[in-house]
Amino acid sequence: MLEVKNLTKRYGSVAALDSVSLSLARGEFFGLLGPNGAGKTTLMSLVTGIRAADSGEILLGNVPFMPDDIAQRAQLGFVPQSIALYDELSGEENLRLFGGLYGLRGALLRERIAEGLAAAQLEERRHDKVESYSGGMRRRINIVAAILHRPQLLLCDEPTVGVDPQSRNAIFDFLEKLNDEGMTIVYSTHYMEEATRLCSRIGIIDHGKLLALGTLDELLTDLPFSEQIRIARNDSTTPHLAAFERFGKLNTTDDAYVLTPAPELRLSEFFSEAERLGIASRFFNVTRPTLENVFLHLTGKTLRDS
Amino acid sequence: MRTILILLGNEIRRFRSDKTALSLTFLVPFVLIYIFGNVFGVGRPGGPAPTGIPLAVVNQSDSPFGTAVTAALQKEAAFKVITTHKDPAGQEVPLTEARLREMIGGGSIRFGLIFPPDAGGDQLAGLKLKFLNNPRNEIETQTVVGLLQKTIYSSAPQALVVGVQKAAANFIGAESFESFSRSLADAIAGSFGGDPQQVYESIKSGQLNFGGSPTGAASTGVDSFLQSLIKIESEQVGGGKVKSPMATRSVGGWAIMFLLFSLSSSATSLFDEKKAGLFQRLLSAPVRRTHILWSKYLFGMLLGFVQLTALFVAGRLLFGIDILSNFGNLLLICFAASTACVAFGMLLAAIAPSSSAASGLGTLLILIMSAIGGAWFPTSFMPEFVQQLSRLSLVYWAIDGFLKVLWANCTTLELLPTLAVLFGIAAVVNTFSVWRFKRGNIFD
Ligand SMILES: Nc1ncnc2c1ncn2[C@@H]1O[C@H](COP(=O)(O)OP(=O)(O)OP(=O)(O)O)[C@@H](O)[C@H]1O
Ligand SMILES: [Mg+2]
Repeated sequence: MLEVKNLTKRYGSVAALDSVSLSLARGEFFGLLGPNGAGKTTLMSLVTGIRAADSGEILLGNVPFMPDDIAQRAQLGFVPQSIALYDELSGEENLRLFGGLYGLRGALLRERIAEGLAAAQLEERRHDKVESYSGGMRRRINIVAAILHRPQLLLCDEPTVGVDPQSRNAIFDFLEKLNDEGMTIVYSTHYMEEATRLCSRIGIIDHGKLLALGTLDELLTDLPFSEQIRIARNDSTTPHLAAFERFGKLNTTDDAYVLTPAPELRLSEFFSEAERLGIASRFFNVTRPTLENVFLHLTGKTLRDS
Repeated sequence: MRTILILLGNEIRRFRSDKTALSLTFLVPFVLIYIFGNVFGVGRPGGPAPTGIPLAVVNQSDSPFGTAVTAALQKEAAFKVITTHKDPAGQEVPLTEARLREMIGGGSIRFGLIFPPDAGGDQLAGLKLKFLNNPRNEIETQTVVGLLQKTIYSSAPQALVVGVQKAAANFIGAESFESFSRSLADAIAGSFGGDPQQVYESIKSGQLNFGGSPTGAASTGVDSFLQSLIKIESEQVGGGKVKSPMATRSVGGWAIMFLLFSLSSSATSLFDEKKAGLFQRLLSAPVRRTHILWSKYLFGMLLGFVQLTALFVAGRLLFGIDILSNFGNLLLICFAASTACVAFGMLLAAIAPSSSAASGLGTLLILIMSAIGGAWFPTSFMPEFVQQLSRLSLVYWAIDGFLKVLWANCTTLELLPTLAVLFGIAAVVNTFSVWRFKRGNIFD
């Protein structure tokens, strides 16, 4: 569906995108996970033709993508990171505009608008001005405006920023439904939970470089460990840090010490040592690694820190 | 094309939903034109007469000229002519020059006109008049001088013509004589065709020769000049064809200024759309930059056209301006003026780095262009070098067009040069703007 080869984009001395390559099959739900300034928006703006790449190649359905070819752009849908709607117009008027620009008209346009408003749970507010909508409502209509024409490839740039968990779930359900119907989706986020829940494949991006690419399982198996031990940070554990450190690498967070066991270690060895030291077992917690660990492993920093 | 139309429809929808823009475009100019119209004393014809400006007249001569002019001034609604005052004993006695000077010096009256003993006595030597004033502001004097000119044209053409230059020079002073001659030349050229500059030269050199006038209405020689002049008063200031000369003059100027304001504010909305990320969204759809620019441009032209037309209709309702007898040409000039004004708005959006910079720069430029372009008071009242600068302002050409259409009732052919200038301004400015838009970052 989409193939990107060695895509590079610089802003002055900043390499916003540095030789990124990836390939998406039709029907994939692809997550682009990266912190602020990673280059997520830049990648989307190149794929949607808003900006031109400095070098590299984009293929859309095996055809070279020409930003000037507006027929090709009609196959794409783009949910911008900012809420790009005409505030002074109603939700329905906005949808009519964007649907119309993608060539929809008449009964089909009306039908798609009705579907979209229903999916966004905004039927009752359809005639109200967008400026009177809540943040979550705007986010929802922001997405609907991009899918009225049923694009083959939908690019969502952090579409749930500032949305409460309930609306967020509604948006997820909506996108999953579209994906089930065959729409290929690229979804950028800096929330690993979103990528974990939604995406069949995930690319991790930082400083313009695509650092890893694969399914969640693939990314996790690439880690040099398969579990960690969280140790509560309190008066009974803190005196024994030296003892813990013999079992692996110890990191300190706000409320806990996180032990990444050395590869050859068996957990039972650690727990018998803890018992010998007289530390209650409730202070220990074995956790499975997450995307956060993958990111930390790849970049040496957490998603939140960066 | 469909894309442009969809975007254009969107602009119109946005405009309709924006109450501020709506009232700034139609209501505010309407109200202001009404107010200014009345300030400048152009009340509805047949309606209540505007309050007279007090004007003291001392007639020391016994020539028919003085009497004729005084009588005409008394008839003129714009003036309240005062010829007597109460002496210490409470008796109404005729004003004397000494008493008049006292009154003007003391500020109890601001304008006075004196016909000296030899006024109009020796026709070859020209008319002699003294105009005393103590005005509150320059515009007031200009207005009074303009009204005096008008009254004198219509009351004593013969006397005026014979000694036109000397009279004028004495009457309004050497400086103002310059502008006097210009107004005269403009008026003549406006009515009968010909190049105002050429007519002006003729008047100045005393040749009174309009050779080369394309209409052939005025041949050469003093006789034809006399005829021309009599015609002037009957056609323009004598209450003939132009129903509300002052309003006709001012409404076009004000309208064009308001148009510039509304178009520059609609063009600066580009920045708001940029900020909201709307251009990114539009450009990710099957929409080109040129589509966006065209839709803005067409919307501006439409808005300008509707606004100008609406304001002229307002001018008709408020002041009885005759817009119907040359309606086709009025629409043409409105169209050309809108085209040039939108170009100005787009230029602002193209060169300014932000919305606030654009509106600041816009306000400054609009006020300057309106002032020197003659939107506030006729350019003929301005110093020579400002009059030269006027021609650089699109306001000047728009007003020139309005006056040609409404005042001189010209034909489309006669209007062509003005239309060409306005379209030319639009073309040049647009070329520059498009070049700037290509290099600028409004779409990034
Ligand atoms: N228009 C621009 N001019 C200059 N630099 C830019 C521009 N847009 C982006 N950048 C830079 O390019 C880099 C990547 O930015 P980008 O917007 O793609 O990041 P992002 O992953 O979308 O971040 P976020 O999560 O904050 O949206 C950043 O260093 C940013 O400062
Ligand atoms: Mg971004």
